[in-house]
Amino acid sequence: MPGVYSRRQALSQFGMGLGAFGLADLLARDSYSQEGVEARNDSLPGTAEHVIWLFMQGGPSQVETFDPKPALAKHDGSLLPEEFKKFDLAQINTADAKVFGPQFEFAKHGESGLEISSLFPEISKHADKLAVVRSCYHELFIHGSALTMMHTGTRLLGHPSAGSWVVYGLGSETQSLPSYVAMTDSMFRNGTATFSSGYLPAIYQGTYLRTTGMPIQNLGRPNGLTETSQKRVLDQLKKWNGRHRDNRPIDSRLDARISNYELAFQMQMAAPELIDLSKETAATKELYGIDGSATDAFGKMCLMSRRMVERGVRYMHLVDADWDAHGDVKGNHQSRGTAVDKPIAGLLADLEARGLLEKTLVVWSGEFGRTPIMQGSNGRDHHPYGFSIWMAGGGIKGGKVIGATDDFGFNAVEDRFHVNDLHATMMSLLGVNHEELTYLFEGRERRLTDVGGQNDISRRLLEG
Amino acid sequence: MNRCFIILALLWMPSQLTGQEVADLPWAFRSPQSPAVPVGDQIKHPELVLNSIDAFIQARLDSMNLARAPKAEKHTLVRRAYFDLIGLPPSPEQIDAFVNDESGNAWINLINNLLESPQYGERWGRHWLDVARYADSQGFEGDNSIPNAWRYRDYVIKSFNDDKPYDQFVQEQIAADEIWPDNLDLDPKRVYILAESKRRNMEARVGTGFFALSPQVAESALDAHRLKHETLTDWVDTTASVFMGLTVGCARCHEHKFDPISQEDYYAMQAIFAPSTKEYLHLHTPMMRGDWHWLYPRLTAVEEAKIALKVFRSRTGGRELNDDEKQQREQLRNALIESVMRLPDNANSVPNEPFDILMTSPTATVLGHDHPKLLKPVHFLDRGELGHKEHVVKAAIPVSLANSTDRDQAITKPFESRKEFALWLTQSDNPLTARVMMNRIWQWHFGRGIISTPNDFGEMGAAPTHPELLDWLALSFIEHNWSIKEMHRLIMTSYAYQASSQFGTDEHEQVDPENKYFWRMNRRRLEAEALWDSVHATAGTINLKMYGRPVVPPLAPDEIAALREKWQWPISGDPAEHTRRGVYIMVRRNFRFPMFEVFDAPITSVSCPQRDVTTVAPQALWTLNSPSVYRQAKHLANRLVQASPNDPNVWVQTLWKITLARTITDQERAESIDLLNALESDAAENLEQTKANIGQLETELATLTPQRAAGLIHLCLTVYNLNEFSFVD
Repeated sequence: MPGVYSRRQALSQFGMGLGAFGLADLLARDSYSQEGVEARNDSLPGTAEHVIWLFMQGGPSQVETFDPKPALAKHDGSLLPEEFKKFDLAQINTADAKVFGPQFEFAKHGESGLEISSLFPEISKHADKLAVVRSCYHELFIHGSALTMMHTGTRLLGHPSAGSWVVYGLGSETQSLPSYVAMTDSMFRNGTATFSSGYLPAIYQGTYLRTTGMPIQNLGRPNGLTETSQKRVLDQLKKWNGRHRDNRPIDSRLDARISNYELAFQMQMAAPELIDLSKETAATKELYGIDGSATDAFGKMCLMSRRMVERGVRYMHLVDADWDAHGDVKGNHQSRGTAVDKPIAGLLADLEARGLLEKTLVVWSGEFGRTPIMQGSNGRDHHPYGFSIWMAGGGIKGGKVIGATDDFGFNAVEDRFHVNDLHATMMSLLGVNHEELTYLFEGRERRLTDVGGQNDISRRLLEG
Repeated sequence: MNRCFIILALLWMPSQLTGQEVADLPWAFRSPQSPAVPVGDQIKHPELVLNSIDAFIQARLDSMNLARAPKAEKHTLVRRAYFDLIGLPPSPEQIDAFVNDESGNAWINLINNLLESPQYGERWGRHWLDVARYADSQGFEGDNSIPNAWRYRDYVIKSFNDDKPYDQFVQEQIAADEIWPDNLDLDPKRVYILAESKRRNMEARVGTGFFALSPQVAESALDAHRLKHETLTDWVDTTASVFMGLTVGCARCHEHKFDPISQEDYYAMQAIFAPSTKEYLHLHTPMMRGDWHWLYPRLTAVEEAKIALKVFRSRTGGRELNDDEKQQREQLRNALIESVMRLPDNANSVPNEPFDILMTSPTATVLGHDHPKLLKPVHFLDRGELGHKEHVVKAAIPVSLANSTDRDQAITKPFESRKEFALWLTQSDNPLTARVMMNRIWQWHFGRGIISTPNDFGEMGAAPTHPELLDWLALSFIEHNWSIKEMHRLIMTSYAYQASSQFGTDEHEQVDPENKYFWRMNRRRLEAEALWDSVHATAGTINLKMYGRPVVPPLAPDEIAALREKWQWPISGDPAEHTRRGVYIMVRRNFRFPMFEVFDAPITSVSCPQRDVTTVAPQALWTLNSPSVYRQAKHLANRLVQASPNDPNVWVQTLWKITLARTITDQERAESIDLLNALESDAAENLEQTKANIGQLETELATLTPQRAAGLIHLCLTVYNLNEFSFVD
């Protein structure tokens, strides 16, 4: 990346504090940030350039999705064995808890024979693309803290979300769209903290992209102002702002603000074009389940994600709500599963067909799993001690399972994979050493993985 | 490589330090000694020295042979002073008054007038609220409201306006209840009015609301012990950052690698706060509360009437009502109205005490004490994990700091531990308190601190660029009875403050591009609230009403989309509230007011010592496209037509004066009139569309043709987008 460092250096020399980031980011849009350059490490895979995180908010059950547990079916309705009673759970007293058998059948799929439940018939067709990790864990059993952990790598508020770190490290490839986008088919349970840049400069903040109407805040011209008039206004602004700047040496913020009007103008065109799916073929829409049925909303988000990858957006966070099945886990999961199954399968197929899957890491997770024991008569409570996630694309060789929970799906016992490890692994696939990508805040060099994080699994993900 | 692994020099602290060891403590841990003000040969340019501040600055610049910016023009100075002290632009009359005042006292008179303005407290109080991580909700998933957090916000604003001595301000926030444990008994002769001393004590106690603002998880299945631990963590970390300028969070889990704060010290500080708990303070006098109890049946009647109507509605929900039912509904509605009308406007005979929240007596959340039998000891936690308790730790001041102030570190009385701590913090030989606040004041004036990491005076923070100046300021601060307003006068009458920001040579860019040595004034990008206020002030719509419940302006659908529960944004009923100053707009931890978020308002989970100044495209989109700026552009256009019914020359001249606080140049005059004409012909091209789009116009603006009005509105919109409007030289 010749020239990038010196350009940054030049900027910081006449920059005024953080104001320089605006211009720096504009200039770095075609390349990596200085911090990213320094944190890049050739010994790491670096096979992925984009991330699409499919977030099943509320917590999908591991034992109904990707972690088959015959023992659960066998002991359905009996008391939980002693050894599990030490675990702290949100609302269930483990002393008199009853085992609850899986509500969906599992079967082997693809050449690899990867086991997936009948909840995901379409995703199952892509079994050979998926690397399932069955041993993900943390210790937080309420949504607020668990979501904060999944998004930011710590349980406390105020830290940057993973997407912010990725953009901070890798820069942006697009001139006319935000490089970090969040979407939801319903709501973000943790509000805008879900895609916050925390203590990183606001330029690394995720942008909430609405899939209908005006996709980004204040993107539409005010009613009274025609396009011709707006152009006239912008032309005159450029002159006046330019003259203002010429009398004010050594202040890069003024240049950055001038450039931002150009960027804003481009965004006005690019963002509506992005969410306009009318030019996509009927076959493509069918592939994603965009047909007015239950799959429509998430299908649109998935298709827009592919379009964003094509347009250089770095990080996409897609939220499907709500998997929080305290009662009727079967009904809840059937409904949520149906809504996302075809769209996700469509996304994997489409990315592959267009040669984009190789450079796009797709991650599927919730904020935790669900208890192998019963809540009420047919539900499951929150469960952070062992749950499943999967990754695909971005150079990963699929059709494999890493890690395992115990016989009851209670506790991750093999290749324990903390959320910090998941983030470290993602960074490693992006070619960034998670320990090197830091930001000085409140006296400490901070990072996405807090004081933890191992990325040694990333090599195994790439092996055939 | 992480510095944590490089520096292995852990400082092990015995309970007493020798004189030599105190002398070896880092600079910030030793009490400031009166530094010599540079004189004579040390200064080559005495003409640039207006007061002692300049002596330090000039001596340093002279030693670097770096030239100083000339003094700023008067019209620049007046705009600078207004934004700096009250966060609002000067009106054309205010500009002229200053610019035409040739007397030698013009500048100090201006400063004094601004310091007496009630808007001063709103501006400088807002700075403090950043530091205090102020918010009206608790964050995390539920983002539950803190209904009376605003009492603390009002307390801060009033404290700044009153020029409350900073030592008292600190004491009140940390320990008002322990230092002034005055009961609120009534004077039997004046039952509704508290004695002045008691009223002051009550007000002081609202200051401990500082601790009631912490972020908090509120979900089912919470562990009370963990909750208390998280709260103590926030209290200690925030206290250390805000009042001591120390980042101690690291010491929760391991020995602080860089500063002489040990893990033992950290838990000893937690122990200072451990006996404390949040409680409600009733703000009505006991007699007024008596009235409220007396009124209780009337309040109940309102509730019951509401319930009756609700029951009726759910019974008849959705279907056509018959005549009987219509009559019944009418009766129920009337009953509700009557019950409301029976409520008094004010609490019995006390004026200006409205029942601002029905069914509750006004309260503030403050600090009080747990019951002695409920007190739990604080344990040393290995790696900061609650599961790894070691020995019990007693309340104490960090040993290195206790030593440098020559006192015993132990704090003995559990229910006066905050008092002892606060009094120690505000001792004149405390090495941190005055320096930390003076550095903040300096930073809020100059955009950059003498220490550029205001919450971190430790070894990981930045080194001071002018340590002697900071010490001199800290000592002056104490000498002037900790008066913040005196410090404003001192700083603003320096040459450093009055220097131009439009200056800089290649040499400056080479030697000191960040202006660490203050060879010019720093240009300031208006903060979110100042920009909001500025748009409304120039449009003439700003509502300068002070204090009270948070204001909730309406949002466009695309702005509110990301809020999970839309009812958490309860729009203020009175439209006049929507244009109040930014400091009064509701601060939710999970959903910042979108315009503020775009313009770098702080994250409110931890103390924010210095705002980011980013430049991102959504900022341009707000000023260019948002309905609220467009609305204000209409009001601004109306102001121009008020100034002259049809003379474009007067319009643009007035526009420049109102928004940019200066005279328009001839070139700009010609260009802006050309632009106006062009925008007018654009609007004329589709006249029907223009009429529909610009909507209802105010009286004066409506006298113009629609296309002329549209042109003028769009010209005003253009000016709102100028860099010059958002930046203060």
